[in-house]
Amino acid sequence: MNFIKALSTTVGAAALSVSMGSAAQAVDLQFFFPVAVGGKAADTIQELTDAYVASNPDVKIDAVYAGSYQDTITKTLTAVRGGTPPQLSVILSVDMFTLIEEDAIIPFDGLAKTDADKAWMTSFYPAFMDNSMTGGKTYGIPFQRSTPVLYWNKEAFAAAGLDPNIPPATWEEQVAFGKKLTKRDGNGNVTQWGVRIPSSGFPYWLFQGLTTQNDVSLANDAGNKTNFDDPAVVEALQYLVDLSTKHEVMQPGIIEWGATPKAFFEGQTAMMWTTTGNLTNVRTNAPFDFGVAMLPAHKRRGAPTGGGNFYIFKDSTDEQKAASFDFIRWITAPEQAAKWTIATGYVAPRPDAWETPAMKAYVADFPPALVARDQLEFAVAELSTYQNQRVTSILNDALEASITGAKAPAEALKEAQAQADRVLSEYR
Amino acid sequence: MNQTGLDRWLNTIGAWTLALLWFLPLLYAVWTAVHPSAYATRFDLWAPLTFENFANAWAAAPFARYFLNSFLLVTFILIGQFILCTLAAYAFARFTFPGSTVLFALVLLQLLVMPDILIVENYKTMRALGLVDTIVAIGLPYIASGFGIFLLRQTFKTVPKELDEAARVEGAGPLLVLWRVYVPLAKPTYLAYGLVSVSHHWNNFLWPLIVTNSVETRPVTVGLSIFAAVDQGIDWSLINAATLMTSGPLLIAFLLFQRQFVQSFMRAGIR
Repeated sequence: MNFIKALSTTVGAAALSVSMGSAAQAVDLQFFFPVAVGGKAADTIQELTDAYVASNPDVKIDAVYAGSYQDTITKTLTAVRGGTPPQLSVILSVDMFTLIEEDAIIPFDGLAKTDADKAWMTSFYPAFMDNSMTGGKTYGIPFQRSTPVLYWNKEAFAAAGLDPNIPPATWEEQVAFGKKLTKRDGNGNVTQWGVRIPSSGFPYWLFQGLTTQNDVSLANDAGNKTNFDDPAVVEALQYLVDLSTKHEVMQPGIIEWGATPKAFFEGQTAMMWTTTGNLTNVRTNAPFDFGVAMLPAHKRRGAPTGGGNFYIFKDSTDEQKAASFDFIRWITAPEQAAKWTIATGYVAPRPDAWETPAMKAYVADFPPALVARDQLEFAVAELSTYQNQRVTSILNDALEASITGAKAPAEALKEAQAQADRVLSEYR
Repeated sequence: MNQTGLDRWLNTIGAWTLALLWFLPLLYAVWTAVHPSAYATRFDLWAPLTFENFANAWAAAPFARYFLNSFLLVTFILIGQFILCTLAAYAFARFTFPGSTVLFALVLLQLLVMPDILIVENYKTMRALGLVDTIVAIGLPYIASGFGIFLLRQTFKTVPKELDEAARVEGAGPLLVLWRVYVPLAKPTYLAYGLVSVSHHWNNFLWPLIVTNSVETRPVTVGLSIFAAVDQGIDWSLINAATLMTSGPLLIAFLLFQRQFVQSFMRAGIR
């Protein structure tokens, strides 16, 4: 019997060995993680995992790179339905409702044994917990979380006669600055745009920054009703469209996410809105002095949060669940969170991570890292509803139709609201 | 005479234009891959040449192992497909048995189903067989290729019956006839189908990503995907270096066997 066990463990691949259990009684964990910020992030996760395993010899963790966020949720759900889920995974915070609907994950509350465990669960920034809790239970623990910020080119500001140290604080200033920063050559072709708000792929995310600044939310907390046709939402979309058409300070049409940092480095735009996940990239590659600021305010300040949470999967043994809990608690502890933030630019999800010596040294050397943390005070949860993929794609289509000029904002959003109502009515 | 001269001239220009259009992205990939990323969107003939992008790309993932995996994968799939599709196509082309039309219709139906829809079912099957996280699991769902069976059946049908009968008169059994008569005559089809199959499975991404977990089983496309990190913006120089590197073996193979490929396609098309 033992022989067969040993043989099958050797022959079977890592995934199989999880259910086999080896002679040493070690707990085997499989951990899926996505990478959205380049090759280094994967190395850092591997390093952190190895460090944990080195100090916990009774636990074995198989960290599996699972592609983009989209690939990771596909891979995870396939494994769940196929009966071999991972024990833990990092997945977008907005996919929480999807995972609950699939009955794939369990809340962390039941696994917290000691008071210290419970205290740990409340040690994160509230803005990040909005997307991690529902019905009074915590299903996700913030890990690779981000928020969009404004980056500006100080040299371009100086050349346009603006104070290089003062970014636009309001929507009006963003337009006024943008007009000064937009440069045209002799033929009227633009050589440098004022601002760049990318709109390819998932335009709803940055658009949610605009709606929050206009003091309106896109959906209710229960995730079963959207407000797409609210006049304040229409106004926010009109502002976004006007940046290109009326004020002519932003490149018209759909603007690529992936090409945005490059356009900023090349001087094709003097300001850009993009995620803090880009901080390390901009710091390394911008050939000029740059600044990082909170997004401009309108009725109020505001930005969405984004990024991925840790989830623990249901179909595992109690030992595996306890070990997963312990590992997540360790990797989100201040020292590890600080290391992760410094390596990637993601926002450390808890206040005490910012008090560690490593983080203090990093921030002293590079103060812009603080902007995202300070913006959290004004941040709201990323748009998340039941049938999240369908609802956000309805909104994305409406935004794209308005940005390309195919439909007027009010009309596009009214249609989007009607479609979203049809999807969500059964959840009310 | 004049008419055909003009005709030929137009044809040549058209061919060159199309070839150039087709070649432009590749040209851009080569240009960006051998220059520092600062020159990715700026053309400067004297920009400094560098092979650093290739070195960085190679270091970003265990590509040596991935290449070996991809090679094993496409070889396994190709051999499996050739054996299975040949036997099935032969049965459909030359034997009448009860239900053969219904069965053939079912095989054709496979062409209408998107493989992505079957991911969960395939995963369950692979798990039941205990094959999750193996190279065999990546290839197995593709072995019984409906397209391959259809293509070979059509080719076998064009083989003159007389050749078949002559071989039988000489005393050859059905399998020997297949091996000595049908397979040699279908060579161009095998070559054409092999090319399509190899390039498709070399480039396949989602299914291998889902069914494998370890470096020892994953193909090059999974390694390539770590460069497509939208959050951080795309570094064209790096991603193009990695793309050239991963598609290199296929490109080289195509250039080497180009004449055979083109001829085989033409002959396969004429029949």
